[in-house]
Amino acid sequence: MKNLLGIRHLEPAQIEELLWLGGDFKQRLKQGKPIDAVKKVVGMLFFEDSTRTRVSFEQAAYYLGMKSTNFSFAGSSMNKGETLKDTILTLRYERLDALVMRHRYSGSPGLAAQFFGGPVINAGDGRHEHPTQALADALTIIEKKGQLDGITVAIVGDVEHSRVARSNAWLLSKMGATIRFVGPRTLLPAHAGLLPGQLYFDLEDGIKDADVVMALRLQSERMTRGIGSSVNEYARMYGITRERLRWAAPDCILMHPGPMNRGVEVDDSAADGEQSVINAQVENGIYVRMAALHWAFLDESPKPAPKKSKKAVAK
Amino acid sequence: MRILLKNGRILDPSQDLDAIGCVLMEDDQIEYVGVDQDFDDLDEIFDCTGLWITPGLVDPHVHLREPGGEHKETIVSGTQAAAAGGFTTICCMPNTNPPLDNPSLIDFIIDKASSPESGGVFVAPVGALTVGLKGEQIADLAAMKRAGIVAASDEEFPIQNAHTMRRAMEYCVQLDIPVLAHCDDADLSAGGAMNEGATSAVLGLKGIPRSAEEVMVMRNCLLSLHTGCRLHVMRISTWGGVEMVRQAKYLGAPVTCEVCPQHFVFTEEAIGEFDTNYKMLPPLRTQVDIDIIKQALQDGTIDCIASDHSPHASHEVQAPFDLAPFGQAGLESVVGVTLTYIVHAGILTPLEAIRKLSTKPAQIFRLDAGTLKPGETPVAQITIIDPDVEWTFDVNRTFTKGKNSPFHGMALKGKAVVTFSGSEIYRDQLFDSGRVKSVF
Repeated sequence: MKNLLGIRHLEPAQIEELLWLGGDFKQRLKQGKPIDAVKKVVGMLFFEDSTRTRVSFEQAAYYLGMKSTNFSFAGSSMNKGETLKDTILTLRYERLDALVMRHRYSGSPGLAAQFFGGPVINAGDGRHEHPTQALADALTIIEKKGQLDGITVAIVGDVEHSRVARSNAWLLSKMGATIRFVGPRTLLPAHAGLLPGQLYFDLEDGIKDADVVMALRLQSERMTRGIGSSVNEYARMYGITRERLRWAAPDCILMHPGPMNRGVEVDDSAADGEQSVINAQVENGIYVRMAALHWAFLDESPKPAPKKSKKAVAK
Repeated sequence: MRILLKNGRILDPSQDLDAIGCVLMEDDQIEYVGVDQDFDDLDEIFDCTGLWITPGLVDPHVHLREPGGEHKETIVSGTQAAAAGGFTTICCMPNTNPPLDNPSLIDFIIDKASSPESGGVFVAPVGALTVGLKGEQIADLAAMKRAGIVAASDEEFPIQNAHTMRRAMEYCVQLDIPVLAHCDDADLSAGGAMNEGATSAVLGLKGIPRSAEEVMVMRNCLLSLHTGCRLHVMRISTWGGVEMVRQAKYLGAPVTCEVCPQHFVFTEEAIGEFDTNYKMLPPLRTQVDIDIIKQALQDGTIDCIASDHSPHASHEVQAPFDLAPFGQAGLESVVGVTLTYIVHAGILTPLEAIRKLSTKPAQIFRLDAGTLKPGETPVAQITIIDPDVEWTFDVNRTFTKGKNSPFHGMALKGKAVVTFSGSEIYRDQLFDSGRVKSVF
């Protein structure tokens, strides 16, 4: 059994294995091939609101034949003062086999993993990591670009507060991509020296010749707390439009982890344009989450990733 | 009862004394300090060959948690930990629940600390600077001074309003007590869990920028300069803050400064994967800060080494990093860590290290402590330190109730092995019992 707490500590071979599994599950589902049932019970612990990620994990568990049990924060004993450690120990002895966990505080899934005794999959923790989103995005890029090695990815927006940006940067850079973080100084990490990307404060410079432009959600409440100028100014400077995508490579694809603020970080012309792969990201989310749930129960020593895995991915 | 500590290395910074000699105790007083000689009618002889004999150590920064935090520490357990750490006098902080903002609570602390079950060390309370630590109304400091406070501080809730701070400092000038300042601009540090830097960017934790400390050190130093109030800067962590203190001293402001061992041992990277035992306030910084702090220890910009003993219950520490409390239970590791990282590393001589662990804090807080001169302390306060004993710090073998320490498992060289405060209040099992002879 293995935890999936983040991308930062994964080996490239493990990432390849997960992506191959995701592609394989996609192919099997599309072609109606059988999928080995995982006779396990997974707890869905969403301490922070989430619709898309929760549904995606539930779909993944369903396709794998797993039973999923939901844990909602509002009705839980965490509201009665129980510590996270005690909650996790309780779920362990309720005989849950795995946990999928979303938490507003960075590092919480790691703490849960110390006490749970079975695999814990991070479904997003604070600003730290969101590994399955990065896997979904990587699978999508591979489908559209054929590979990750050698491509240039511009991540645009509120990188400082984004777990999606961090997980994507780790994953794509480990697989040979070049990462650029693009945004206003107030929304990029002030000390980015250990993050695998270069900072760009100008959108045109930042997405110039990029193969992938990934727009991040702007949380407008942050801007009013003195972190930035107006949302309108942000949109004027960093909003992705069809026009501005011309600065990037001709066959550039546009990604967004959702939920989108249309008219802010992306406008309709870009989000609904032919370069947008946003819907594919959502769908691929299910397949990589199947991969993660399946992978979590595999033996510790990873199988060597199958050769030419990238080509095995369904088109 | 006559006890002789003989053939030890006597380190008494109050008389700049560093020589081999002996100390004679008669009942609870020091009778003689000097070259070895023979005395009659001895009850016990401690052979201190290879050991240091120092004034009882003084810790200017301890959280005893009582009242209100008895699950973390009590006055009894905290004073026992102090004795085991080699301390004979500690200053306890006012951020209890309720805070120490009135004389009856000061009476309570002093009564409890002098009860027979406590550790036998002197507890010098620090009173709240403002009522309820709220930074609004100045507390009844005159009444608290009569009750026994030695300084005033709002500790972890430093006064943000510069006008209020100025008035509070003016009042403390009149009362002739120092203000202890945890220097933190609460707007700059709001919500932060660790140093703002490359590591916080990777871990996705909100950072506490170094400027949060530096701007407040600067403000408080300037207010000290202009009001004449004695200011003691607590637990400095940044090179910029050190430079501000250096500048304030140069300008003649009555400013002193302390550092805690974690801030000259660890950098932010020690947090690893969200290890809450390394969550400190101020946060662990970087190697540059450590280098400047060590330099400032050498040149005297930093006056003392304080434990900032901050015990917490295990369940509080085993929490998401953002929710875990700040601090570490340090009373029983500070001597070992200081000897290992400062003395044996050649940063400070033994005499200067003892000055920062005893004589200087005693002078800053005007305590009857920090010296071996006969008659200068209410009772004999002496610590015997074995500078060369090698041991491993283990939180499961400490007196404090707080088992939160970044030093757990660390190999250390040097330890306080016997503590006297009037009588023997602690003897470590690492102390060779063959060194004591009973004489009739």
